Amino acid sequence: MRTEVAFAGGLKGFALAGAVALSLVAGGAFAQPPGSPPQGPSGAQPPSGPPGGPPGPTGGNAANPFAPPEPQLTEAQKLAQSLPAPQPGGMLPVPANDADAPMPAADPRDLQGTWIHNQNLEFRMQRDMYGNLVPYTMAGAKVLERRVMSLKNGAPFINASAKCRPPGPQWQRDLNMPFQIFQSKDWLEVVFEEYHGRWHILLNPDAAPAPAQKDYMGRSVGHWDGDTLVVETSDFREATWLDVDGTPLSAKGKLIQRIRKVDTGDREPFLEIITTIEDPLYYTKPWSVVRTFGWHPAFAKFKEYNCEEQIGDPSISANAGLVPEPTD
Amino acid sequence: MKEPVVRKGLGAVLAVALWAAAAASATAQSAKPVDLEGVWKIATPAASLKPVGGSVPFTAAGRKHYEKNKQLRAKAAYDEYDITLSRCSSPGATRLMLTPMRFKIWQRQGVVTFDYEWNRAIRQIDTRGLPPQHDDMFGSDLVPTMTGNSKGHWEGSTLVAVTDNINERTLIDDLVPHTVDLKVTEHIRLVDHETLEDRITIEDPAYFNRAWDAVITYKRQPAAPFPEDVCLDRLEAHQPVFPAQ
Repeated sequence: MRTEVAFAGGLKGFALAGAVALSLVAGGAFAQPPGSPPQGPSGAQPPSGPPGGPPGPTGGNAANPFAPPEPQLTEAQKLAQSLPAPQPGGMLPVPANDADAPMPAADPRDLQGTWIHNQNLEFRMQRDMYGNLVPYTMAGAKVLERRVMSLKNGAPFINASAKCRPPGPQWQRDLNMPFQIFQSKDWLEVVFEEYHGRWHILLNPDAAPAPAQKDYMGRSVGHWDGDTLVVETSDFREATWLDVDGTPLSAKGKLIQRIRKVDTGDREPFLEIITTIEDPLYYTKPWSVVRTFGWHPAFAKFKEYNCEEQIGDPSISANAGLVPEPTD
Repeated sequence: MKEPVVRKGLGAVLAVALWAAAAASATAQSAKPVDLEGVWKIATPAASLKPVGGSVPFTAAGRKHYEKNKQLRAKAAYDEYDITLSRCSSPGATRLMLTPMRFKIWQRQGVVTFDYEWNRAIRQIDTRGLPPQHDDMFGSDLVPTMTGNSKGHWEGSTLVAVTDNINERTLIDDLVPHTVDLKVTEHIRLVDHETLEDRITIEDPAYFNRAWDAVITYKRQPAAPFPEDVCLDRLEAHQPVFPAQ
Protein backbone atom coordinates (compact mmCIF):
# COMPACT_ATOMS: atom_id res chain seq x y z
CA MET A 1 0.00 0.00 0.00
CA ARG A 2 1.31 3.40 -0.89
CA THR A 3 1.30 4.86 2.60
CA GLU A 4 3.00 1.77 3.97
CA VAL A 5 5.70 1.98 1.36
CA ALA A 6 6.10 5.64 2.12
CA PHE A 7 6.40 4.85 5.83
CA ALA A 8 9.09 2.28 5.16
CA GLY A 9 10.82 4.90 3.10
CA GLY A 10 10.57 7.41 5.90
CA LEU A 11 12.42 5.11 8.29
CA LYS A 12 15.45 4.96 6.01
CA GLY A 13 14.83 8.46 4.96
CA PHE A 14 13.67 7.08 1.73
CA ALA A 15 13.95 3.43 1.15
CA LEU A 16 11.10 3.91 -1.29
CA ALA A 17 13.36 5.83 -3.62
CA GLY A 18 15.97 3.10 -3.43
CA ALA A 19 13.45 0.27 -3.75
CA VAL A 20 11.90 1.63 -6.88
CA ALA A 21 15.07 2.90 -8.49
CA LEU A 22 14.89 0.96 -11.68
CA SER A 23 18.00 2.22 -13.38
CA LEU A 24 21.26 2.46 -11.55
CA VAL A 25 23.43 4.68 -13.60
CA ALA A 26 27.08 4.98 -12.83
CA GLY A 27 28.23 8.52 -12.46
CA GLY A 28 25.38 9.64 -10.22
CA ALA A 29 24.60 13.29 -10.42
CA PHE A 30 27.49 13.98 -12.73
CA ALA A 31 26.01 12.16 -15.70
CA GLN A 32 24.59 14.53 -18.25
CA PRO A 33 20.82 14.15 -18.30
CA PRO A 34 19.00 16.64 -20.46
CA GLY A 35 19.29 20.10 -19.09
CA SER A 36 22.29 19.63 -16.83
CA PRO A 37 24.75 22.46 -17.00
CA PRO A 38 28.10 21.48 -18.45
CA GLN A 39 30.76 20.33 -16.05
CA GLY A 40 33.01 23.07 -14.82
CA PRO A 41 32.29 26.70 -14.23
CA SER A 42 32.70 27.92 -17.75
CA GLY A 43 29.28 27.01 -19.12
CA ALA A 44 27.19 27.00 -15.95
CA GLN A 45 25.35 29.73 -14.16
CA PRO A 46 27.71 30.81 -11.41
CA PRO A 47 26.62 30.08 -7.86
CA SER A 48 27.35 32.57 -5.17
CA GLY A 49 30.82 32.13 -3.74
CA PRO A 50 34.10 31.30 -5.44
CA PRO A 51 34.64 28.18 -7.55
CA GLY A 52 35.03 25.11 -5.40
CA GLY A 53 37.91 22.83 -4.67
CA PRO A 54 40.69 23.10 -2.18
CA PRO A 55 44.03 24.39 -3.45
CA GLY A 56 46.28 21.57 -4.52
CA PRO A 57 49.82 20.97 -5.60
CA THR A 58 51.01 21.68 -9.09
CA GLY A 59 49.51 19.24 -11.55
CA GLY A 60 51.18 16.52 -13.51
CA ASN A 61 52.90 13.33 -12.56
CA ALA A 62 55.61 11.08 -13.86
CA ALA A 63 53.21 9.20 -16.10
CA ASN A 64 51.28 12.22 -17.35
CA PRO A 65 52.65 15.71 -16.96
CA PHE A 66 49.34 17.16 -18.05
CA ALA A 67 47.22 15.42 -15.42
CA PRO A 68 45.17 17.76 -13.24
CA PRO A 69 46.50 18.34 -9.76
CA GLU A 70 45.51 15.74 -7.18
CA PRO A 71 43.19 17.39 -4.67
CA GLN A 72 44.60 17.90 -1.23
CA LEU A 73 41.91 16.72 1.14
CA THR A 74 41.32 18.37 4.46
CA GLU A 75 41.02 16.17 7.54
CA ALA A 76 37.29 16.77 7.46
CA GLN A 77 37.06 15.67 3.86
CA LYS A 78 39.12 12.59 4.60
CA LEU A 79 36.67 11.68 7.33
CA ALA A 80 33.69 12.17 5.02
CA GLN A 81 35.38 10.11 2.31
CA SER A 82 36.10 7.28 4.73
CA LEU A 83 32.43 6.64 5.44
CA PRO A 84 30.53 3.73 3.91
CA ALA A 85 29.41 4.63 0.40
CA PRO A 86 25.83 5.78 -0.05
CA GLN A 87 23.22 3.65 -1.75
CA PRO A 88 23.26 4.19 -5.49
CA GLY A 89 20.36 6.32 -6.62
CA GLY A 90 18.19 5.77 -9.64
CA MET A 91 15.32 7.36 -11.42
CA LEU A 92 11.83 6.14 -12.09
CA PRO A 93 11.20 5.98 -15.82
CA VAL A 94 9.28 9.05 -16.93
CA PRO A 95 7.58 8.90 -20.33
CA ALA A 96 8.06 11.68 -22.82
CA ASN A 97 5.29 14.26 -23.09
CA ASP A 98 2.48 13.38 -25.47
CA ALA A 99 2.47 15.15 -28.80
CA ASP A 100 -0.58 17.15 -27.76
CA ALA A 101 0.54 17.86 -24.19
CA PRO A 102 0.28 21.53 -23.22
CA MET A 103 3.61 23.31 -22.93
CA PRO A 104 4.63 25.88 -20.31
CA ALA A 105 3.80 29.54 -20.69
CA ALA A 106 6.10 31.40 -23.05
CA ASP A 107 6.87 33.96 -20.32
CA PRO A 108 10.19 32.81 -18.84
CA ARG A 109 9.10 34.20 -15.48
CA ASP A 110 5.99 32.02 -15.41
CA LEU A 111 7.13 28.83 -13.73
CA GLN A 112 3.67 27.38 -13.28
CA GLY A 113 2.90 23.80 -14.11
CA THR A 114 3.80 20.28 -13.13
CA TRP A 115 7.41 19.23 -12.86
CA ILE A 116 9.23 16.09 -11.82
CA HIS A 117 12.83 15.28 -10.96
CA ASN A 118 14.54 13.90 -14.05
CA GLN A 119 17.95 12.97 -12.73
CA ASN A 120 19.14 10.03 -10.70
CA LEU A 121 18.49 10.56 -7.03
CA GLU A 122 21.48 11.26 -4.84
CA PHE A 123 21.20 9.74 -1.38
CA ARG A 124 24.28 11.62 -0.20
CA MET A 125 25.71 14.71 -1.85
CA GLN A 126 29.41 13.99 -1.96
CA ARG A 127 30.49 16.50 -4.55
CA ASP A 128 29.36 19.92 -5.68
CA MET A 129 28.12 20.75 -9.16
CA TYR A 130 31.71 21.08 -10.40
CA GLY A 131 32.79 17.70 -9.10
CA ASN A 132 34.67 19.00 -6.08
CA LEU A 133 34.32 17.29 -2.74
CA VAL A 134 31.95 18.94 -0.29
CA PRO A 135 33.98 21.44 1.77
CA TYR A 136 33.16 20.12 5.24
CA THR A 137 34.38 21.63 8.44
CA MET A 138 35.33 18.96 10.98
CA ALA A 139 32.05 19.70 12.79
CA GLY A 140 30.10 19.06 9.60
CA ALA A 141 31.99 15.88 8.80
CA LYS A 142 31.38 14.54 12.28
CA VAL A 143 27.64 15.18 12.00
CA LEU A 144 27.62 13.31 8.71
CA GLU A 145 29.67 10.52 10.24
CA ARG A 146 27.31 9.95 13.16
CA ARG A 147 24.27 9.96 10.85
CA VAL A 148 25.73 7.57 8.32
CA MET A 149 27.00 5.23 11.03
CA SER A 150 23.68 5.33 12.90
CA LEU A 151 22.07 3.95 9.80
CA LYS A 152 24.78 1.34 9.32
CA ASN A 153 24.42 0.30 12.95
CA GLY A 154 20.69 -0.18 12.62
CA ALA A 155 19.74 2.71 14.90
CA PRO A 156 18.87 5.53 12.51
CA PHE A 157 18.36 8.97 13.89
CA ILE A 158 15.09 10.80 14.03
CA ASN A 159 14.76 13.28 11.20
CA ALA A 160 11.91 15.34 9.83
CA SER A 161 11.18 13.06 6.92
CA ALA A 162 11.04 9.93 9.05
CA LYS A 163 8.58 11.67 11.37
CA CYS A 164 6.32 12.81 8.56
CA ARG A 165 7.29 16.43 9.07
CA PRO A 166 8.24 18.86 6.28
CA PRO A 167 11.84 17.92 5.39
CA GLY A 168 13.12 21.32 4.23
CA PRO A 169 13.26 22.58 0.64
CA GLN A 170 16.32 20.67 -0.52
CA TRP A 171 15.18 17.20 0.55
CA GLN A 172 11.61 17.99 -0.46
CA ARG A 173 12.74 18.67 -4.02
CA ASP A 174 15.24 15.83 -4.20
CA LEU A 175 12.62 13.13 -4.64
CA ASN A 176 11.29 11.64 -7.82
CA MET A 177 7.71 12.64 -7.30
CA PRO A 178 5.95 15.52 -9.01
CA PHE A 179 5.18 19.00 -7.80
CA GLN A 180 3.03 21.83 -9.11
CA ILE A 181 3.90 25.50 -9.06
CA PHE A 182 1.26 28.21 -8.76
CA GLN A 183 2.25 31.84 -8.71
CA SER A 184 0.90 35.31 -8.28
CA LYS A 185 2.68 38.63 -8.32
CA ASP A 186 3.35 38.37 -4.58
CA TRP A 187 4.36 34.75 -4.07
CA LEU A 188 4.85 31.33 -5.55
CA GLU A 189 3.39 28.22 -4.00
CA VAL A 190 4.94 24.86 -4.72
CA VAL A 191 2.72 21.89 -3.88
CA PHE A 192 4.48 18.54 -3.66
CA GLU A 193 3.02 15.08 -3.91
CA GLU A 194 5.54 13.78 -1.41
CA TYR A 195 4.69 14.58 2.22
CA HIS A 196 1.80 16.62 0.76
CA GLY A 197 4.47 19.30 1.05
CA ARG A 198 4.29 23.04 0.52
CA TRP A 199 6.99 25.57 -0.23
CA HIS A 200 6.06 29.23 -0.31
CA ILE A 201 8.37 31.72 -1.97
CA LEU A 202 7.51 35.29 -1.11
CA LEU A 203 8.15 37.86 -3.80
CA ASN A 204 6.57 40.41 -1.51
CA PRO A 205 7.59 39.58 2.09
CA ASP A 206 4.75 41.75 3.37
CA ALA A 207 2.31 39.21 1.91
CA ALA A 208 3.06 36.92 4.86
CA PRO A 209 4.53 38.12 8.14
CA ALA A 210 7.19 35.95 9.71
CA PRO A 211 5.49 33.29 11.83
CA ALA A 212 5.75 33.32 15.61
CA GLN A 213 7.33 29.89 15.44
CA LYS A 214 9.77 29.19 12.65
CA ASP A 215 8.79 26.78 9.93
CA TYR A 216 10.33 23.44 9.08
CA MET A 217 10.64 24.72 5.51
CA GLY A 218 12.24 27.96 6.70
CA ARG A 219 11.28 31.30 5.26
CA SER A 220 11.89 31.86 1.56
CA VAL A 221 12.08 35.26 -0.07
CA GLY A 222 12.66 35.57 -3.78
CA HIS A 223 13.40 38.19 -6.40
CA TRP A 224 13.89 38.10 -10.14
CA ASP A 225 17.38 38.47 -11.56
CA GLY A 226 16.59 38.70 -15.22
CA ASP A 227 14.62 35.55 -15.88
CA THR A 228 16.13 33.68 -12.96
CA LEU A 229 14.24 33.53 -9.70
CA VAL A 230 16.70 33.85 -6.83
CA VAL A 231 15.30 32.49 -3.58
CA GLU A 232 16.97 32.81 -0.20
CA THR A 233 15.75 30.38 2.45
CA SER A 234 16.71 30.76 6.08
CA ASP A 235 15.15 30.82 9.54
CA PHE A 236 14.67 27.08 9.81
CA ARG A 237 12.84 25.73 12.81
CA GLU A 238 15.49 23.09 13.34
CA ALA A 239 18.58 21.67 11.71
CA THR A 240 17.65 19.93 8.48
CA TRP A 241 18.96 16.99 6.56
CA LEU A 242 19.79 17.98 3.01
CA ASP A 243 19.50 14.39 1.83
CA VAL A 244 18.65 10.86 2.93
CA ASP A 245 22.05 10.20 4.46
CA GLY A 246 21.97 13.38 6.50
CA THR A 247 24.22 15.90 4.75
CA PRO A 248 23.80 18.58 7.39
CA LEU A 249 22.42 22.08 7.45
CA SER A 250 22.21 23.80 10.79
CA ALA A 251 19.19 25.83 11.84
CA LYS A 252 21.23 28.93 11.07
CA GLY A 253 22.18 27.68 7.62
CA LYS A 254 20.97 29.24 4.42
CA LEU A 255 19.99 27.96 1.01
CA ILE A 256 20.14 30.16 -2.06
CA GLN A 257 18.22 28.71 -4.95
CA ARG A 258 18.51 30.01 -8.49
CA ILE A 259 15.57 28.78 -10.51
CA ARG A 260 15.12 29.18 -14.21
CA LYS A 261 12.95 27.64 -16.88
CA VAL A 262 14.71 26.18 -19.89
CA ASP A 263 12.94 25.41 -23.13
CA THR A 264 15.07 24.25 -26.02
CA GLY A 265 12.07 23.65 -28.27
CA ASP A 266 12.20 19.87 -28.05
CA ARG A 267 8.90 19.67 -26.11
CA GLU A 268 10.84 18.59 -23.03
CA PRO A 269 11.28 21.84 -21.13
CA PHE A 270 12.68 21.71 -17.63
CA LEU A 271 13.36 23.75 -14.53
CA GLU A 272 16.93 24.11 -13.43
CA ILE A 273 17.55 24.79 -9.75
CA ILE A 274 21.06 25.58 -8.57
CA THR A 275 21.15 25.44 -4.77
CA THR A 276 23.98 27.07 -2.92
CA ILE A 277 24.47 25.88 0.65
CA GLU A 278 25.87 28.39 3.11
CA ASP A 279 26.57 27.21 6.62
CA PRO A 280 29.85 28.31 8.24
CA LEU A 281 29.30 25.84 11.07
CA TYR A 282 29.46 22.83 8.75
CA TYR A 283 31.19 24.03 5.59
CA THR A 284 34.33 26.04 5.03
CA LYS A 285 32.72 27.89 2.15
CA PRO A 286 29.47 27.94 0.14
CA TRP A 287 28.99 25.10 -2.30
CA SER A 288 26.38 24.36 -4.92
CA VAL A 289 24.45 21.49 -6.45
CA VAL A 290 22.21 21.54 -9.50
CA ARG A 291 19.01 19.67 -10.17
CA THR A 292 16.66 19.62 -13.13
CA PHE A 293 12.95 18.90 -13.19
CA GLY A 294 11.18 17.96 -16.39
CA TRP A 295 7.84 19.41 -17.45
CA HIS A 296 5.15 16.73 -17.21
CA PRO A 297 1.52 17.89 -17.13
CA ALA A 298 0.42 14.26 -17.17
CA PHE A 299 1.56 14.06 -13.55
CA ALA A 300 -0.73 16.88 -12.38
CA LYS A 301 -2.92 14.33 -10.58
CA PHE A 302 -0.91 13.24 -7.56
CA LYS A 303 -0.95 9.98 -5.72
CA GLU A 304 -2.09 10.28 -2.12
CA TYR A 305 0.62 10.64 0.50
CA ASN A 306 -0.67 10.01 4.01
CA CYS A 307 2.34 9.24 6.19
CA GLU A 308 0.38 10.38 9.26
CA GLU A 309 -1.57 7.15 9.20
CA GLN A 310 1.56 5.23 10.19
CA ILE A 311 3.59 7.83 12.04
CA GLY A 312 0.63 8.95 14.14
CA ASP A 313 -0.28 5.40 15.17
CA PRO A 314 -0.46 5.54 18.96
CA SER A 315 0.34 1.84 19.22
CA ILE A 316 3.87 2.37 17.96
CA SER A 317 6.67 4.46 19.37
CA ALA A 318 6.30 8.19 18.92
CA ASN A 319 9.67 8.12 17.22
CA ALA A 320 8.76 5.26 14.92
CA GLY A 321 11.69 3.23 16.18
CA LEU A 322 14.25 5.90 15.44
CA VAL A 323 16.58 7.26 18.10
CA PRO A 324 17.21 10.86 19.08
CA GLU A 325 20.31 12.33 17.53
CA PRO A 326 22.91 13.70 19.92
CA THR A 327 23.17 17.44 19.81
CA ASP A 328 26.38 19.17 18.86
CA MET B 1 -50.87 5.62 -50.31
CA LYS B 2 -48.63 5.13 -47.31
CA GLU B 3 -45.81 7.08 -48.84
CA PRO B 4 -46.84 10.57 -47.66
CA VAL B 5 -47.35 9.19 -44.12
CA VAL B 6 -43.90 7.62 -44.21
CA ARG B 7 -42.40 10.89 -45.44
CA LYS B 8 -44.08 12.79 -42.61
CA GLY B 9 -42.89 10.22 -40.10
CA LEU B 10 -39.33 10.38 -41.35
CA GLY B 11 -39.47 14.14 -41.33
CA ALA B 12 -40.59 14.15 -37.71
CA VAL B 13 -37.85 11.76 -36.74
CA LEU B 14 -35.31 13.88 -38.56
CA ALA B 15 -36.56 17.02 -36.88
CA VAL B 16 -36.32 15.42 -33.46
CA ALA B 17 -32.85 14.15 -34.23
CA LEU B 18 -31.72 17.58 -35.37
CA TRP B 19 -33.22 19.18 -32.26
CA ALA B 20 -31.51 16.66 -29.99
CA ALA B 21 -28.18 17.21 -31.70
CA ALA B 22 -28.55 20.96 -31.37
CA ALA B 23 -29.43 20.64 -27.71
CA ALA B 24 -26.46 18.37 -27.05
CA SER B 25 -24.19 20.72 -28.91
CA ALA B 26 -25.44 23.68 -26.93
CA THR B 27 -24.90 21.81 -23.67
CA ALA B 28 -21.40 20.81 -24.69
CA GLN B 29 -20.58 24.34 -25.74
CA SER B 30 -21.91 25.80 -22.47
CA ALA B 31 -20.07 23.19 -20.28
CA LYS B 32 -16.94 25.25 -20.05
CA PRO B 33 -14.93 25.24 -16.86
CA VAL B 34 -15.89 28.03 -14.56
CA ASP B 35 -13.11 29.69 -12.61
CA LEU B 36 -13.47 28.43 -9.05
CA GLU B 37 -9.94 29.45 -8.14
CA GLY B 38 -9.45 31.42 -4.99
CA VAL B 39 -9.31 31.10 -1.25
CA TRP B 40 -12.44 29.81 0.47
CA LYS B 41 -13.69 29.24 3.99
CA ILE B 42 -16.76 27.41 5.24
CA ALA B 43 -19.59 29.85 5.93
CA THR B 44 -21.07 27.96 8.86
CA PRO B 45 -18.54 25.71 10.58
CA ALA B 46 -19.87 22.32 11.57
CA ALA B 47 -18.34 19.01 12.47
CA SER B 48 -21.25 17.01 11.04
CA LEU B 49 -22.89 16.89 7.66
CA LYS B 50 -26.50 17.95 7.92
CA PRO B 51 -28.75 16.00 5.53
CA VAL B 52 -31.11 18.07 3.43
CA GLY B 53 -34.65 17.59 4.68
CA GLY B 54 -34.18 15.17 7.51
CA SER B 55 -31.79 12.83 9.20
CA VAL B 56 -29.23 10.40 7.89
CA PRO B 57 -31.20 7.43 6.44
CA PHE B 58 -29.21 4.66 8.08
CA THR B 59 -29.78 1.01 7.40
CA ALA B 60 -29.67 -1.22 10.47
CA ALA B 61 -26.00 -1.97 9.84
CA GLY B 62 -25.19 1.68 9.34
CA ARG B 63 -27.02 2.70 12.48
CA LYS B 64 -25.25 0.03 14.49
CA HIS B 65 -21.83 1.21 13.32
CA TYR B 66 -22.76 4.84 13.94
CA GLU B 67 -23.91 4.13 17.50
CA LYS B 68 -20.71 2.24 18.14
CA ASN B 69 -18.72 5.29 16.99
CA LYS B 70 -20.66 7.43 19.43
CA GLN B 71 -19.85 5.08 22.28
CA LEU B 72 -16.17 5.07 21.35
CA ARG B 73 -16.18 8.87 21.23
CA ALA B 74 -17.72 9.00 24.68
CA LYS B 75 -14.84 6.85 25.93
CA ALA B 76 -12.30 8.99 24.00
CA ALA B 77 -11.20 5.82 22.19
CA TYR B 78 -10.50 7.85 19.09
CA ASP B 79 -8.07 5.53 17.40
CA GLU B 80 -10.73 2.85 17.24
CA TYR B 81 -13.01 4.88 15.00
CA ASP B 82 -11.40 8.20 14.00
CA ILE B 83 -7.76 8.05 12.97
CA THR B 84 -7.90 11.69 11.93
CA LEU B 85 -8.34 12.70 15.55
CA SER B 86 -5.89 10.12 16.84
CA ARG B 87 -3.20 10.29 14.15
CA CYS B 88 -3.82 13.34 11.92
CA SER B 89 -4.55 10.94 9.08
CA SER B 90 -6.24 12.57 6.10
CA PRO B 91 -9.90 13.25 6.93
CA GLY B 92 -11.02 12.10 3.51
CA ALA B 93 -12.94 13.80 0.75
CA THR B 94 -16.20 14.77 2.48
CA ARG B 95 -14.75 15.63 5.87
CA LEU B 96 -12.09 17.81 4.28
CA MET B 97 -14.95 19.86 2.83
CA LEU B 98 -16.02 20.50 6.44
CA THR B 99 -12.65 21.92 7.43
CA PRO B 100 -13.03 25.07 9.51
CA MET B 101 -9.75 26.40 8.09
CA ARG B 102 -9.25 27.91 4.66
CA PHE B 103 -8.55 26.12 1.44
CA LYS B 104 -7.53 27.17 -2.04
CA ILE B 105 -8.81 25.84 -5.33
CA TRP B 106 -6.47 25.57 -8.29
CA GLN B 107 -7.66 24.52 -11.73
CA ARG B 108 -4.67 23.63 -13.82
CA GLN B 109 -3.90 21.16 -16.57
CA GLY B 110 -7.28 19.48 -16.22
CA VAL B 111 -6.93 18.79 -12.52
CA VAL B 112 -8.82 20.67 -9.82
CA THR B 113 -6.71 20.78 -6.68
CA PHE B 114 -8.11 21.57 -3.25
CA ASP B 115 -5.16 22.90 -1.27
CA TYR B 116 -6.03 22.95 2.45
CA GLU B 117 -4.58 25.09 5.17
CA TRP B 118 -5.19 22.20 7.59
CA ASN B 119 -2.07 20.10 7.68
CA ARG B 120 -1.24 20.99 4.05
CA ALA B 121 -3.78 18.38 2.98
CA ILE B 122 -4.81 18.09 -0.63
CA ARG B 123 -7.47 16.36 -2.65
CA GLN B 124 -7.77 16.47 -6.41
CA ILE B 125 -10.51 16.02 -8.99
CA ASP B 126 -9.35 14.79 -12.35
CA THR B 127 -11.36 16.26 -15.22
CA ARG B 128 -9.15 15.01 -18.02
CA GLY B 129 -11.25 11.94 -18.73
CA LEU B 130 -8.21 9.71 -18.99
CA PRO B 131 -8.54 5.93 -18.80
CA PRO B 132 -7.33 4.31 -15.57
CA GLN B 133 -3.56 4.40 -15.48
CA HIS B 134 -1.89 1.56 -13.70
CA ASP B 135 1.54 3.05 -13.79
CA ASP B 136 2.54 1.85 -10.38
CA MET B 137 4.42 -1.44 -10.30
CA PHE B 138 2.94 -2.11 -6.86
CA GLY B 139 -0.64 -1.64 -8.08
CA SER B 140 -1.11 0.87 -5.30
CA ASP B 141 -3.62 2.86 -7.36
CA LEU B 142 -6.09 0.02 -6.85
CA VAL B 143 -5.97 0.32 -3.06
CA PRO B 144 -8.60 2.56 -1.44
CA THR B 145 -7.18 5.86 -0.29
CA MET B 146 -8.38 8.38 2.24
CA THR B 147 -9.47 10.88 -0.39
CA GLY B 148 -10.52 8.20 -2.88
CA ASN B 149 -10.45 8.57 -6.61
CA SER B 150 -12.27 11.64 -7.92
CA LYS B 151 -13.31 12.07 -11.53
CA GLY B 152 -15.00 15.24 -12.62
CA HIS B 153 -16.68 16.91 -15.55
CA TRP B 154 -18.52 20.12 -16.18
CA GLU B 155 -22.26 20.34 -16.59
CA GLY B 156 -22.97 23.90 -17.54
CA SER B 157 -21.24 25.95 -14.89
CA THR B 158 -21.21 23.16 -12.30
CA LEU B 159 -18.30 20.88 -11.60
CA VAL B 160 -19.66 17.40 -11.04
CA ALA B 161 -17.22 15.13 -9.22
CA VAL B 162 -17.72 11.47 -8.43
CA THR B 163 -15.46 9.92 -5.82
CA ASP B 164 -15.12 6.26 -5.01
CA ASN B 165 -12.48 3.83 -3.77
CA ILE B 166 -12.47 5.60 -0.40
CA ASN B 167 -10.71 3.91 2.49
CA GLU B 168 -13.30 2.89 5.08
CA ARG B 169 -11.00 4.10 7.85
CA THR B 170 -12.24 7.59 7.07
CA LEU B 171 -15.53 9.00 8.29
CA ILE B 172 -18.05 10.93 6.23
CA ASP B 173 -17.93 13.60 8.92
CA ASP B 174 -17.01 13.41 12.61
CA LEU B 175 -19.02 10.26 13.27
CA VAL B 176 -20.86 8.83 10.26
CA PRO B 177 -19.16 5.67 9.01
CA HIS B 178 -19.16 4.17 5.54
CA THR B 179 -18.05 1.07 3.71
CA VAL B 180 -15.59 0.77 0.87
CA ASP B 181 -18.58 0.95 -1.50
CA LEU B 182 -19.21 4.58 -0.65
CA LYS B 183 -19.81 6.80 -3.65
CA VAL B 184 -19.75 10.57 -3.23
CA THR B 185 -21.14 12.83 -5.93
CA GLU B 186 -20.51 16.54 -5.62
CA HIS B 187 -22.04 19.41 -7.53
CA ILE B 188 -19.71 22.33 -6.99
CA ARG B 189 -20.69 25.74 -8.28
CA LEU B 190 -20.38 29.45 -7.75
CA VAL B 191 -23.61 30.80 -6.33
CA ASP B 192 -22.12 34.23 -6.88
CA HIS B 193 -18.58 35.52 -7.05
CA GLU B 194 -18.23 35.42 -3.26
CA THR B 195 -20.06 32.17 -2.53
CA LEU B 196 -19.15 28.62 -3.42
CA GLU B 197 -21.57 25.75 -2.92
CA ASP B 198 -20.87 22.03 -2.69
CA ARG B 199 -23.95 19.81 -2.83
CA ILE B 200 -22.78 16.40 -1.66
CA THR B 201 -24.72 13.23 -2.43
CA ILE B 202 -23.85 10.19 -0.34
CA GLU B 203 -24.55 6.67 -1.58
CA ASP B 204 -23.59 3.51 0.30
CA PRO B 205 -26.35 0.89 0.13
CA ALA B 206 -24.94 -1.18 2.99
CA TYR B 207 -25.21 1.74 5.42
CA PHE B 208 -27.86 4.06 3.95
CA ASN B 209 -31.17 2.91 2.58
CA ARG B 210 -31.23 5.71 0.05
CA ALA B 211 -28.97 8.42 -1.31
CA TRP B 212 -28.90 11.56 0.78
CA ASP B 213 -27.68 15.10 0.23
CA ALA B 214 -25.97 17.76 2.26
CA VAL B 215 -25.07 21.27 1.14
CA ILE B 216 -22.06 23.26 2.31
CA THR B 217 -21.37 26.85 1.38
CA TYR B 218 -18.11 28.74 1.51
CA LYS B 219 -17.20 32.40 1.37
CA ARG B 220 -14.35 33.82 -0.63
CA GLN B 221 -11.36 35.00 1.37
CA PRO B 222 -8.48 37.35 0.53
CA ALA B 223 -5.63 35.66 -1.31
CA ALA B 224 -2.73 34.85 1.00
CA PRO B 225 -0.13 32.16 1.47
CA PHE B 226 -1.15 29.79 4.26
CA PRO B 227 1.08 29.40 7.31
CA GLU B 228 2.81 26.04 7.66
CA ASP B 229 0.42 23.81 9.58
CA VAL B 230 1.68 20.53 11.04
CA CYS B 231 -1.07 18.53 12.72
CA LEU B 232 1.34 15.98 14.20
CA ASP B 233 2.99 18.77 16.18
CA ARG B 234 -0.38 19.67 17.67
CA LEU B 235 -1.06 16.05 18.47
CA GLU B 236 2.30 15.71 20.16
CA ALA B 237 1.56 18.81 22.23
CA HIS B 238 -1.89 17.43 23.18
CA GLN B 239 -3.59 20.25 21.31
CA PRO B 240 -6.75 19.88 19.20
CA VAL B 241 -6.20 18.26 15.85
CA PHE B 242 -8.70 20.72 14.42
CA PRO B 243 -7.79 24.08 15.92
CA ALA B 244 -10.63 26.33 16.97
CA GLN B 245 -11.30 29.03 14.39
